[in-house]
Amino acid sequence: MSYFVDPETYEKYREAVLEMSNSVQINLPEHLPPDQRKPPRSDAEIAEALDLDEATVREIRCVAEREYYGLEEWQKALEFKERTCRGYARQGLSFVTKKYVKR
Amino acid sequence: MTAPAARDLEDARRQKLKAQIEDTARKGGALVFGVADASSFDAAPEGHRPEDLLPGARSVVVVGGAKPRSGDWASPNFRHLELSTTSDRVTAMAMKLAHLIERELGYYALVVPPGVDEGQQPFLSLSLAAELAGCGTPSLAGPVLHGEHGFVYLAALITTLPLPADGPPDMPVCPAPECIDMYEENGRTPCTAVCPANDGGCLDGRISDGRWVERTYDRARCTARSYNHWIPSFQKVLADTLDEPDADRRRMMINSTLFTRTLWSMTYSNISQGQCFECIRVCPVDARSRELK
Repeated sequence: MSYFVDPETYEKYREAVLEMSNSVQINLPEHLPPDQRKPPRSDAEIAEALDLDEATVREIRCVAEREYYGLEEWQKALEFKERTCRGYARQGLSFVTKKYVKR
Repeated sequence: MTAPAARDLEDARRQKLKAQIEDTARKGGALVFGVADASSFDAAPEGHRPEDLLPGARSVVVVGGAKPRSGDWASPNFRHLELSTTSDRVTAMAMKLAHLIERELGYYALVVPPGVDEGQQPFLSLSLAAELAGCGTPSLAGPVLHGEHGFVYLAALITTLPLPADGPPDMPVCPAPECIDMYEENGRTPCTAVCPANDGGCLDGRISDGRWVERTYDRARCTARSYNHWIPSFQKVLADTLDEPDADRRRMMINSTLFTRTLWSMTYSNISQGQCFECIRVCPVDARSRELK
């Protein structure tokens, strides 16, 4: 492949790559007891499953991760942080726990 | 000398070396210290294990500290924490230990780079290293929590020096008892309540018998929050600007507060690495470690 993945290949494999990688983290290894862990597939493993080369999978994944949300999510992030930070400063943990822990 | 006696002597020597390294770390400001067996990283993907980074790796030394001050957490201005990242201090601490191991003890030592590779993956998961070294356990939200100190910045070094390993903690720090109580009553914990995946946030999970048994983490949305003014926003504004045919509108985008602040954060990258702390801000484990008058 060239350094940049071609758009057709990207569109064809985007969802599959996101699903198999740790971009969608459902029960990622570190957060569960060892016997329940479900490690994500590496780029090499995804490449083997989709019959692509590893570099192509890596490019598809990185571009897809960047494109997953539009710029409006960045604006929402600012509003979210403003609301929650001020809520905590005002009420402490009871901002979310309501009654369990007082600041 | 008999074989068991020689083994005892070697064990004592390794314990002494470990104590010497820990003493140096503590004097340098480390709040937490631990050692993982380099061969115990089975949960890490191939290519991201200690032996992949340093041939002959025997131990992974983990240090943590430089945590945000209590006043940082108490500030009503979320931007304050965004500009107060101190993770590079812990990396410098690990570098000091690497010098000690190489220059005084004569073994290879490699500090795990704090950045990511071209695939946006860490060279070695600091989260997994910290857990295997007994320095805490990963929280549902992601950051490792130490039982006493809560959230700390972490660094790791890989070495060919064989050291006694600490191993993972017996019990996970997360969920905290307060979180289990809250979950049993309304199905939420402080972090999943403040940032719920099913309502515009990043986190969800299910607790059974006092432990997380399921976990959902929207990494892409978390990126928008924790890298609010960072490389992803730079790329997005740039792409949108290139697509914009109107010159006046392009000017508004290039000179916007979002783009300007993003460029500022990228310039001062060493203090702007983490830009969202809201899940950890409400974490009872960490709150216990920062209660002041």
